[in-house]
Amino acid sequence: MNSKPENDLLDVAERIVSLARALGADEISASVGAGTSTELSRRDGKVEKAQESRSMSASVDLMVDGRYSSHSTNDLRPDSFRPFLERAIAATRFLEPDLHRALPPRESMGLAEAELDLDDPSHAELGPEARRSWAEALEAATVAAATGTVRSITAYMWDGASEGVTVTSNGFVERSRRTSFGHGATISLEDADGRLPEGYAAVSTSHRADLPSIQQVAADVAARAASRLGSRPTESGRYPMLLDRRAVGRVLGAMLGPLGATAIYEGRSCMADKLGAQIASSALTLWDEPLIVRGAGSRLSDGDGLPSQRRAIVVDGVLQMFFIDVYNARRMGVPVTTGGASNLVIAPGARSPKALVADAARAIRVDGFLGGNTNATTGDFSFGIHGALLERGEVIQHLSEMNVAGNIFDLLNHYVAAADDPWTFSAWRCPSLLFDAVQFSGT
Amino acid sequence: MSILPPTGRPGAHFEAMGVTPEVLRRVMDAALSRGGEDCDLYFQHSASTSFSMSDRKVNLVGTHVDLGMGVRVVVGDQVGYAYSEDLDPDALCAAARAAAEIAQHSPGRLAAPPIARPRPDLYPELQPWSGVGMDTRVRLLQDWEQRAFAKDPRIRRVEGGLADGARLVMIVRPDGRLFEDYRPMASASLRCTAVDGAVRESAGHNLAGRAGFEMFTPESTERLVDQAVSRTLFLLGAGKPPAGEMPVVLAAGPSAILLHEAIGHGMEADFNRKRTSIYADKMGQRIANAHVTIVDDGTIPGTRGAVNVDDEGNLGQRTTLVEEGVLRSYLHDEISAKHYGVAPTGSGRRQDFRSPPLPRMRATLMEPGPHKPEEIIASVENGIYCVSFANGQVNIGGGDFSFYMRHGYLIEGGRLTRPIKDVNIIGNGPEALANMDMIGDDLVLDDGGWTCGKDGQGVPVSQGMPTVRVKSLSVGGVG
Repeated sequence: MNSKPENDLLDVAERIVSLARALGADEISASVGAGTSTELSRRDGKVEKAQESRSMSASVDLMVDGRYSSHSTNDLRPDSFRPFLERAIAATRFLEPDLHRALPPRESMGLAEAELDLDDPSHAELGPEARRSWAEALEAATVAAATGTVRSITAYMWDGASEGVTVTSNGFVERSRRTSFGHGATISLEDADGRLPEGYAAVSTSHRADLPSIQQVAADVAARAASRLGSRPTESGRYPMLLDRRAVGRVLGAMLGPLGATAIYEGRSCMADKLGAQIASSALTLWDEPLIVRGAGSRLSDGDGLPSQRRAIVVDGVLQMFFIDVYNARRMGVPVTTGGASNLVIAPGARSPKALVADAARAIRVDGFLGGNTNATTGDFSFGIHGALLERGEVIQHLSEMNVAGNIFDLLNHYVAAADDPWTFSAWRCPSLLFDAVQFSGT
Repeated sequence: MSILPPTGRPGAHFEAMGVTPEVLRRVMDAALSRGGEDCDLYFQHSASTSFSMSDRKVNLVGTHVDLGMGVRVVVGDQVGYAYSEDLDPDALCAAARAAAEIAQHSPGRLAAPPIARPRPDLYPELQPWSGVGMDTRVRLLQDWEQRAFAKDPRIRRVEGGLADGARLVMIVRPDGRLFEDYRPMASASLRCTAVDGAVRESAGHNLAGRAGFEMFTPESTERLVDQAVSRTLFLLGAGKPPAGEMPVVLAAGPSAILLHEAIGHGMEADFNRKRTSIYADKMGQRIANAHVTIVDDGTIPGTRGAVNVDDEGNLGQRTTLVEEGVLRSYLHDEISAKHYGVAPTGSGRRQDFRSPPLPRMRATLMEPGPHKPEEIIASVENGIYCVSFANGQVNIGGGDFSFYMRHGYLIEGGRLTRPIKDVNIIGNGPEALANMDMIGDDLVLDDGGWTCGKDGQGVPVSQGMPTVRVKSLSVGGVG
C-alpha cells in the first residue's frame, strides 16, 4: 500500500488552516501526517505475527484571543472535523490568556539548506515475498549464530514510509518524507541455575542499504545473549565505568533533560545556573547536529519551524547552550535556540573500548539498563545495570542486579575519554565512553 | 468533544457510522477467507480533553479524537493483524484481507451473526464528564493551585493537569459474540517545586480512575493537593540512602509495583507458552511463604485496571496468581488459554485498535497477612522503608526486576529515622518472593495513574499491597 500523495496532505493541511481561521482562530499551525508500515516476526520456524498498518492524522495548534490550545484527530471526515474544530476553539476560549504564545515571525521560519536523504526510493520495491524471505533468512542466521542452550529465538523485520506536511497561518509550509527499515532478534537462553536470560538487538535506518547485514545482526544478538549467562552482582564500590555506545543515551539523557527550557523556567533544572560553566571534565565535547545525511534524528527545521543548525552543547566541559523554544524564549526573555535535540554527537577517540580499560585493574562495562530514573531538579540518578566486570580489559564476570548511582555533575567530572566505535543507528551518535570512579552498588 | 455513554442498543454507535450487521459479516468473512481459525474485530471511538496549568494560569487545553478498527486473524499461535482508521466497508474489508494473509488455505469457518452479550457495569459515570462545563474544569485546577500555594511558603511553583476522556469499544467474534463497552478515564496531577535556602526539589502526586466527575470529592482532591505539597517538602530534607543489599520494608499501597514487576509480568501466559518466563516451569510449586496470596483482579469498580469485558470479548475476572505461597494460574489471553487447555482469564488487553491484544495485568494485589505494620518496621535493625515510586522494569526470563523509589526512610534500630529519596532498587523475582517474610494486615489499593508498558503498548493498571518486609534487595544508593 502506498500512502496518499503529498499534495493531498498539503491540501488537507491548508483546508484545516482556512477552516480554523473561518471559525475564529487567529493563528493556526496544522500538521498532517500519513504513513504505512509492515512488521513481520518469526519464531520456531514459522511466522509469529504479520502486521500491516496505514494511518493518517492531523494535529492543530490554535491561538484564539490570546489563548493557546493543541489538538489532534484521525477522524478527518468533513462531518466530524468541523465540529471537532468548533469544540476545540470553544474550549480554548475558557483558558486564561497566554500572550507569550504566538507563531514565530515568518521571516525567522524556514528550512536549512541541506539534502538529508531520508527517503529511500527502493522502499516501493519491497514486496511481501521479499519481506518473507528477509525474515526467514534472519531467523535462520540467528539460529545458526546462537550459542549455549537455546530456549527460544524470535527474529523480526519491519519497514515503513511516512510523510508529513505542516502549514501555518503566516505562510510557512514544510513537507517531509522518510522511509525506515529495521531488523532484529531476541535469543532466550537457559542458564545453569534455571534462569532464562535474553539478549536482543534491533537496528533501524532510513535506507535499506545502510542496515547492518543479517549475519552481523545475528552475531550481535548471539553475543549479547551469551553475555547475560551466569550473571550476578559484584561488590559495591567505585569503579571505572566503560559505558557501551548503545547505552550512552540513557546516562547522558540525565544531563539533557535539565537543559530543556521548560525545566529551567519552572525551576526544575539542576543546570539552570550553569550556562558558561564547567559542568564536565574538559574531555567532554557534545554537539547537536541536525543536518547529518541519513541521520536518525536529522531534520531541516525544528518544532517551531525554525531552520535547523549545528550547535555546540558542551565544549571542553563548558556548557554552551540551553534548548529554548520560541514560547519559552518569550516568557523567559532570552534568545531562542531550538526546542529540542536532534542528533547528539560525541567525536570518537583513537583507542578501542578494550584498550581504554586495559590499564584498569578492575572496571565495569555497562551494556544496558534495568529501570532507574533521574531527578532533573537535583541531578541525582540511580539506574539498574547489566554488563561485565573487566580485569585489565578482559571480561571476568557477567554482571546483573546492580545499580549505578550518583549525581550527574560528579559523573560528568569523571568523564575520561571516548572510544573509537561510534554508533550511527540512533539519534545518540556516540562511541563507548569511559568514566572514572563511578559508584556501583551490588553485594 | 466527548463520546457519550451509549443509550441505544449495543452496536448502535458504530452502526450509525455505517458499520451495520451486514458490514460486520462481510468484514468477518474477509478475515476468515483464507482459513483463519479465529478472528476478532475491535472498533474504537475515543475522545479526551486535557487542561494544564502553569504560571498560575490555566493556559493550555488539548482535545484528541481517535477512531478505527483493528482486525486479528489467528491460526494456532500465529497472528495476522491490520487496522483501518476509515470505517468505510471497503477499507474494513481490505484490512481484514491483509490480516487474513497469515492463513494459507481456503476458507473454512463461517461467522455466526453477532448478538450483543450482557456484561457487568464496573465503571458507570455517576456524574458524566459530558455534563461538566469547561469552566468547571478550569476552576478545579485553579482551586488546587491556590490550596497548594497556601499550604507552605516554600512552595514556589505549581503545575497541574486535569484530563477526562472516554472510549467506546465494540468487540465482535465469529462465534457470534458482540460486546460494547464504554470506558471512561479521568486523571488529575499536581506538581510542586519548593525552595529552602539552597535546596530545590520538585515532586507531585496524581489521582486516576475509570469514573466521572464524582471522582473529585473534597476528600480526594484534598489528598491530591496535600500529597503533592508534602512529598515535595519531604524531598527538601531527604538524603541519599546507602548502597548494597539490605532489608527493605514496602509501605502499603503503591509498593505493589514490586508485585507488578517481580511476578505479574512473569505470569503473563504468552511468555510462559513460549517458555521464556522464569515462572514457565513452576506452576503448582511453592514460590513464597504461606502468608503470600497474590491476585490480579479486573473486577474492582472504578479502578484503572477494571475491565467489564476484555479486548477479546471475555468478561473481566479475578485471577489468583499465587495462593498461600503456591503458584496457581497464569494470566491468559485466548491463544495461551487454548495452548494450556484452560479458560481465558479475561486478561487479553490492548492499547488501542492499532495493536493486537496480549495477556496483561489489571489490578494486581497482595492479600493482607497476619503482621502489624509497626511490628514489621520494628523487626528491621538496618534497612530502608519505601513509600512512593516512579517506575519499574523486569527481565521476564532472568527474573531480575527494579523499581525506582522517590520517597522513603532509613530504618535504624527498628525505627524510621532519616528521610531518603531517589534510589533504584533491584532484586530477582523468585528470590524476592521467597524473601517476603512478613506480610501486613493493612492492604491499600493505590489510586495513582499507573500505566503498564509491554511490546510498545501501554494499558492502564492498578495495584495494591499491604506493608511487606523483603529480607534482602539491592539498593542503588551511594557510599
